[in-house]
Formats: sequence, structure tokens, C-alpha cells
Amino acid sequence: MPTPEPSFTPDPALPEGGVTRRSFLRTSVVLTTGLAALAASLKPLLEMNDFPTAERFLQKYYKEMTPDGMAKVIKRIENEVERQYGIRPHVRDLKPMDGVEFVYCLNLTRCIGCRKCVHACVAENNQSRNPEIQYIRVLRLPDGSLDIEKAEHNYAPESVPEKGYFYMPVQCQQCKNPPCVKVCPVHATWQETDGITVIDYDWCIGCRYCEAACPYWARRFNFTRPSIPKERLNPDMAYLGNRPRRQGVMEKCHFCIQRTRAGRYPACLEVCPAGARKFGNILDPNSEVSYILKNKRVFIQLKEEMGTSPRFFYYFDV
Amino acid sequence: MLAGLSAIFVALAVGFLLDFRGPATLLYPIPLVATNFLDTATVRRSYADLVRAGDDLSDFDCYACHEKGKPPKLRFDADEHLIVPTEHSDIVMGHGSHGRNNNCFNCHNENNLELLQTRDGHEVKFADSPALCGSCHGPTYRDWEAGAHGRISGYWDRDLGEAQRKACVNCHNPHSPRFPSRPPAPGPHPLRPVAEGTAPSGTPSNLGNERVSRVGRDSWRAVVAGTPKALARGDARPTGAAVELAAYPTH
Repeated sequence: MPTPEPSFTPDPALPEGGVTRRSFLRTSVVLTTGLAALAASLKPLLEMNDFPTAERFLQKYYKEMTPDGMAKVIKRIENEVERQYGIRPHVRDLKPMDGVEFVYCLNLTRCIGCRKCVHACVAENNQSRNPEIQYIRVLRLPDGSLDIEKAEHNYAPESVPEKGYFYMPVQCQQCKNPPCVKVCPVHATWQETDGITVIDYDWCIGCRYCEAACPYWARRFNFTRPSIPKERLNPDMAYLGNRPRRQGVMEKCHFCIQRTRAGRYPACLEVCPAGARKFGNILDPNSEVSYILKNKRVFIQLKEEMGTSPRFFYYFDV
Repeated sequence: MLAGLSAIFVALAVGFLLDFRGPATLLYPIPLVATNFLDTATVRRSYADLVRAGDDLSDFDCYACHEKGKPPKLRFDADEHLIVPTEHSDIVMGHGSHGRNNNCFNCHNENNLELLQTRDGHEVKFADSPALCGSCHGPTYRDWEAGAHGRISGYWDRDLGEAQRKACVNCHNPHSPRFPSRPPAPGPHPLRPVAEGTAPSGTPSNLGNERVSRVGRDSWRAVVAGTPKALARGDARPTGAAVELAAYPTH
């Protein structure tokens, strides 16, 4: 009696096609290698050091925040700063004042190019010391010219001022028609009613469009985590101002919002030994800046032809 | 598809293991700026400042040496330049460019040395010296009164606080008023180390396109290896030796 040929009946538990030993082994080898490789390729993540907390990740846009929400956010920021620097800061959300529009005037006759404003600004606004971020760049120009392409940035003489040169500090011009605001894809930067263009550092995605759009090279990007020595941290902070920034966001001069919206002069003005910097409310006819624009030889808004209409004016004595 | 993904991951993994991104550009040490560049003090201190601070006023105590009611005699050399007496050797007569302002009593009151006087004979106290300066420098005085010349600190919003306006003599030495020169604060540091002698002058430091650092888990540390020269050449690699930046000397 011939033995009945064993007929192959597929296991009903197996899906169509089934898994053979060969296909199982092949799949697992590929999968294991793949996963191992995936893990290895995520290695750069290990170098990341600033994962957002759920709180920060879910935080609302500045303009949509309720006062309660803002209070919570401020508490979170204060906690974060205290954890990182061991100093409890005082963070405020200062709003623009009514009937105030800020204007800055800089006297080119008086500026001696000592760069004190640059460093007072860094100290006031908690910029990264390494890598170095500075909002103000002082240009040295030969007398009788105004070609800023030929400006010297790295002058380092024994003493300033030097014969035959004048100095022109450039910082954010707080334009009335700011190109940087137009290009921001997420509205993380905008112009406030007092004329200050601000940035919500927690809303910025770091695309750097604004940096490209700015004709004054006023915007700076945090390529790395900013580093500030504890003893140089300024604990008087504002949400839209000098609170510490993260890696991957833009920052720029905001007319020392934490000072000016509390009625004080900006840090760069107070440190200027020559009194070349003037700041105030242009809507007040008795302010210094009103006097200067009315009576002094105000000769430029930088790159006037761009149509940005800066709130930063350069003027001369005589 | 799985095989394709795996191949990509394998390629990436091999890439990272072989470090295809090349050595990281290192954070090289930047000294902290010296605190004197952050100082908001004025160049000089006025008489009013000294009184306010309760400091030494002996420089203004004229009758410690001079005799009251007896105007001191001025001596001039052959070129009619004032001879500054040795007791006042700290004074450089440099007010006015052609030696025209060549007489102490253009500004000082010869009958009462503790007072100043304008050219038309009005007496002015040392504490009110801007009025004396303004008697000649009218347009500058007008600008100063409006806040457009000279230093101001404090509050731009006078409803919230006071503004302190500095006097002429806070910046100008009345005997030689040219604003003094001073050493400039350090300039910008380029983002990347540049080889010595090749630093491009006249170009902004490139806060631009370079990947800066793959170190820096601890925010105020930079991992450096080798000599500063090796760093400058850019061929140093991280070894894990950490240097406290805060310990670097300041400018």
C-alpha cells in the first residue's frame, strides 16, 4: 500500500505567504542592523543639551497669552534661570507706554569709538560671551566719506579717537517699516506701538530669514547655547528683552526694553563717556530727541534709500 | 523598503563613526571684557560731585596759600605766555587754540579766588560753573540745557524718576578742555579661530555659516586641546580636557 504522499497544508495561523525560516532570518538581520544603525545615526542628538520641557513646548504665542498664562511663563523662566545660573532673576512683561514712541539720536561729532557701548550692552542684555554676540558694531570710517562698505570693524589703536577718522556705531535701527518683521514666517518678531521691534524667543523657529532681510546686520543668531558667566548675569530681565536666549533663536537690540519701558535710559547711552548717544520720546516736544531733530544737523538715517525709515538718527554738531 | 531604510541608517552610522563632518570647530577662549569698560563714571569729577560725596576739597581751598584781598600777580614770559607757577604745575594752559585765553582772571575772580567770574564781571560759584562756560560757548550751552550736548543718566521719563545731567567740567578740564583720548575696548572676535596674521581686516567676523561647536554640554566650558597656535590653525581636536573660560585673564 503506497504511503500517502504527505500533503503540505499551510498552518491556518500563518498569513498568506507565511514566514519561512529563511524570510524570518533575513528580516530579523535587516531589522537588527537597521535599529542599531538608527541608534548610531542619532548620536548627534546626544550633543543636544536643551530639550524643551512640555511646559515650554506647549507655551502660547506672546500675543495670545492671558495675564495668568504670562505669570506662569515668567515663573517658569525664573526657575530655569535660577537652575542654570543660581541667581533668582526678576523677569517682567513690560508693555509699551501710551503716547510714547522711542527715537535714538547719535552724535557723530562726539563719538570717539571707544566701544564702551558695545560692552555695556552685552553686560546689560545677557548676550553670549563665547561665542561672542554683540548688538552694536562700531565702524571706523575715514573723514569725509560715508562708504560703510569700506568701514574698519577691527580697529585696535593705542587710543581713540584717531586722527583722520570718525566712528559710527551701528545697531538695530528700530525701523518704522522693518523688513525683518515682514519676512518672519511665524510672526515671532513684530513692531510694538512704542516703535521697538521685539522677538518672542520662545516662538522663534530660528530660520534666520530676518537676519537676511535686515539691511543693517542688526540681528544675531545663537548658533550654540549662549554662555554667560554667573557673576556677569543681569538679573533684571524682561520677557521681550534680555532674558537668556536658547540655542537656535535670533536676538537683537531692543532699546533695553527692561530699562526704557520703566522710564530709564538704555545702557549704551549711560556708559557713553562722550555723551554722543541721545534717547527719548519723540512724541514729547520737550524731549532731547525732539530738540535734536528740530535744531541739529541730522544728516542721515542709515541706508535711507531702503525705505526702512529708521528710528535711529545720526547727527552732527556745528 | 525596510532594507532601503536600513541601508540609509547603516550609511549614516558609518558616517558618524568615521566622523564625516570633520573635526568640530572649537570654541576658543575669549577673555571677559575688563569691568572698567562697563564703568559709567565720568572722565572727571566736578566741584558739586566732590561736595556731594563729601570728598577732599583742598584743591578749592585757595586761601590756604593765597592771601585774602590781595590779587595774585601773574607772570608772563617773553612770548607773553603765562608762566604757570610751580604750585599749580598740574595745570596745563590749553584753553583756546591760539594762546588767546592766557590769563587766569578771564575765568577766576582775582578779588575772591573762591569764585569764578564771566568776562563781563558777573560772579559765578564753582558749583554753577556751566553758567560761566556758557557765557562764551553759547550754542553749546543751549544744546546742553536742552539735553543735546553732554551726558545724562537716570530716567528719560521725568514722571518716573530723575535724570542726572553732568556738568561741563565732568568731561572737560577747564584748563585744557579737549576731550581726553582713551584706549578702546576690545573689538569683535571672529567666530572661528583664524591663523595668525591672516585675520581679514575690514570684514565683519563671520557670525555666519559655520558649525560652531559640538561641545558645550556645560555652558561655560570649552573643550580645547593643544596650544593656542594649534587652535588658531584649526587642527586641534577635542580631547575632553576642559578649560574654565572664567579663569581666563581679562583684557
